[in-house]
Amino acid sequence: MNPLDDELKRALRREEPAPGFARRVIERAGADSETDRRGRWRRWLRLPQLRWATVAVACLLVTAGGVEYRRYERSRAEGERAREAVMLALQIASSKLNGALSQVKQVEGRQVDSAVRDRPIH
Amino acid sequence: MVYSLAYHFLGDPPEAEEVAQDVFLQLHRSLGAIKSVSHLIFWLRKVAVHRSIDRARRLRPERDVSLDDIAEPAAPEDHGATTDSAVSEKLQQLVRVLPDKWRQVVVLRYQEDLELHEIAELLDMPINTVKSSLQRAQALLREKLTRCFGDVPV
Repeated sequence: MNPLDDELKRALRREEPAPGFARRVIERAGADSETDRRGRWRRWLRLPQLRWATVAVACLLVTAGGVEYRRYERSRAEGERAREAVMLALQIASSKLNGALSQVKQVEGRQVDSAVRDRPIH
Repeated sequence: MVYSLAYHFLGDPPEAEEVAQDVFLQLHRSLGAIKSVSHLIFWLRKVAVHRSIDRARRLRPERDVSLDDIAEPAAPEDHGATTDSAVSEKLQQLVRVLPDKWRQVVVLRYQEDLELHEIAELLDMPINTVKSSLQRAQALLREKLTRCFGDVPV
């Protein structure tokens, strides 16, 4: 061992960090794990598998929504047709009733006329 | 050990503390990979050295340093009052301006008291490269120190 070795050993002796180093590391570890927890969801969203799954779910929702809308449109059209049929039936029934009513009125009119004609004049 | 490696590498206590904290945080995340106490010490030294190199490169752009490029700290005003602490301080300054590769070898050799083969393993370097780096660093330090303190036997 030469004098330079001794000098270097002395010059490069171990140095200690400022007091409270362990506490500062623990605090940073706590802060980092909090950031990690927040970043976990973001990291998840960056996963390609999850991105594809999201696209697949979105496609399924759109398809299911389309099917459901078509079903709703079909039932609405059926309802419309049924309403029109009911209206037609009511119109038919109404015109038939009007016809019957007018016939009844005619019959009544004729009876009144004959009664008046047949009544003896005093 | 971790702080001290970073301190002798960077020469700046706040930067050294930052590096040391980073190393321990990385250890916290990699605890599962540590197999034994000796592996832990090896791991700490390795990560501390690599993080110190990264930090040093970020602090000043890396450049190839020739022997003549290395700055020589100013000589003490009073040559007659050469003390151990003055020599130590000067040596610390000189070590800090050594090229990265030499500096890590010198710090590991003299602070951690590692053998050449241990340094080679730690730095993933051929042992002959470690040996030549150490010899060249010693020669340069001796020369610079002699120029500063002509009366000190080095």
